[in-house]
Amino acid sequence: MTAVIAATHLSKWYGHVLGLNDVSLEIEEGITGLLGPNGAGKSTFMKLATGQLKPNIGTVTVHGRRTWNTPGIFRTIGFCPEPDAFYDDMTGFEFLTGLLRFYGFSAKERRERAARALDVVDLTGDKDRLIRGYSRGMRQRVKFAQTIAHDPEVLILDEPLSGLDPLGKRKLIKVIRDFRSQGRTVLVSSHVLPEIEALTSRIVLIHQGQILAQGDISMVRELIEAHPHQISVRSSDPRGLAARFVADPAVLKMTFDPDGRTFVVETRDRDELFGHLAEAALAAGIEIEEITSPDDNLQSVFEYLVGK
Amino acid sequence: MATVKERGYRHWDGRLVERRFPWLPIARTGVRLAFRKKGFKFAFAAAFSPATVFLGLLYISERIEDFKALVRTNQNLLNVSPNYFKTFLTSGPFLFLLVLVLVFASAGLIAEDLKHSSLQLYFARPLKKRDYLIGKLAVIAFFVLIITALPWVLLVVFKLIFAGNFKFIAAYPWLPLSILGYAVLLTVFLGFYLLLMSASGRSTRYVTVLIFFVYYFSAVLALWIKGIFKTPYAFLVSIPANLQQAGAVLFGQKPPQPFSPVWSFLVLAGICVLSGIVLTLKVRSVEVIK
Repeated sequence: MTAVIAATHLSKWYGHVLGLNDVSLEIEEGITGLLGPNGAGKSTFMKLATGQLKPNIGTVTVHGRRTWNTPGIFRTIGFCPEPDAFYDDMTGFEFLTGLLRFYGFSAKERRERAARALDVVDLTGDKDRLIRGYSRGMRQRVKFAQTIAHDPEVLILDEPLSGLDPLGKRKLIKVIRDFRSQGRTVLVSSHVLPEIEALTSRIVLIHQGQILAQGDISMVRELIEAHPHQISVRSSDPRGLAARFVADPAVLKMTFDPDGRTFVVETRDRDELFGHLAEAALAAGIEIEEITSPDDNLQSVFEYLVGK
Repeated sequence: MATVKERGYRHWDGRLVERRFPWLPIARTGVRLAFRKKGFKFAFAAAFSPATVFLGLLYISERIEDFKALVRTNQNLLNVSPNYFKTFLTSGPFLFLLVLVLVFASAGLIAEDLKHSSLQLYFARPLKKRDYLIGKLAVIAFFVLIITALPWVLLVVFKLIFAGNFKFIAAYPWLPLSILGYAVLLTVFLGFYLLLMSASGRSTRYVTVLIFFVYYFSAVLALWIKGIFKTPYAFLVSIPANLQQAGAVLFGQKPPQPFSPVWSFLVLAGICVLSGIVLTLKVRSVEVIK
């Protein structure tokens, strides 16, 4: 499948500070999450992808066209920057129609597109208020509205959910997912991992300007086999069950919770351990009430990979 | 429901069409926002007061018989000539009013974009840095031309209407061009100067103070240097003096300072070049790491 966004040996530095270091990356259609701590290089990558920064080395293309110094390409790209980027003395509606002028739409079409985009983010009722009077969540939503108003094929969203209340987040997540179902490409960055989890399972982990891992969350897990997984088991007889397979080579460490009903096993081979656990429970006739994996989330994956 | 991969991606395969004047939305926004600023309309109206006074004097000069009692003491006041235009257009009060209007209109042109990181939004659109700067310059050009070129060329027309003949324009056919030339000089110089100031900070208030401070401090500094070194070349450090010196040449009049106006043109051009370089470096998307 053809990559929509492609970076080849991309490097960017700011004086002596390295922003991105030899990043080669292909992003296909659908939603891709770009994860990393602050200063990891997420925003640098997004600015390179939106042609706002010139790469020191390498290239970045969207739809096969280089983004640097190709303003025309931005008819197909919608960019939502992280910081606020407004003229406070404008209304939300004016802000959008003003930005739509750059695409050469007629006045009627500008009004229609602005109204439609504001409707998507639930700001129709506040469209004629000055942005100065908008709450943080409203500002975030109007910023997202400007991203989609010109109907782009590719959305590049830098921390789009920050500042939104839970309801606003849920709504925006739905909107972004709708874009995926329309066959568009969305690259979304965040350091709040549950937000990305809610959007996509396809992630790119970035740290200190380098790609740590890329793929589905389960693929990423395979990449980190050197790190132990945690499995929490709640049972009617946790010590009896634990005794049955404590000698299993797959077990690295075992701890018991103070509640007396749960124990946590650390293993390098989760699948093997699940098999042995089931066999032990069956052989001893011990009922397993619950099996969970407390580190089965993006936060854990990220922490493993960056060595925290 | 089919998944995205089953549907296949709709690759965009259109032609990238560039707008003819991509800077126009920037200019329109800048002009519109200027009129929303508190006090701007008053300053804008006040900037036409020299032209209005001039219009009155033009009328009186052509109806001298009716106003004999008023002008008995100072006949020179009504001797309308290119020097008369130059005196008004290069006068301190006129330049002050012009700069006042431009401060309202331009102090925040880039400062506000830097403050709100709007450059990221602009440059994620079909817009080049060059178009952005042209758009901002166009805002300043709009106000300079509307305050200088338009009314003062019209005043030449009024002079002809009041006189009822074409003697004046026959005697000075180059005068409208002089007015336009001076307006272009002001547009170019003030455009670069004000954008440089606007790009020097993120606070409009700070930039406003900076514009006035640099403009008038240069005049004070010139007087101070002249006091020490007793040389008229000291006025080369004064922005208003250089504008007056260059303006005098464009109106075919004797320059106020006893040195070649070429030096003033060079100083003004140098400031423009320096401003252009600084603007090119300053106007870029906000860096992630500083």
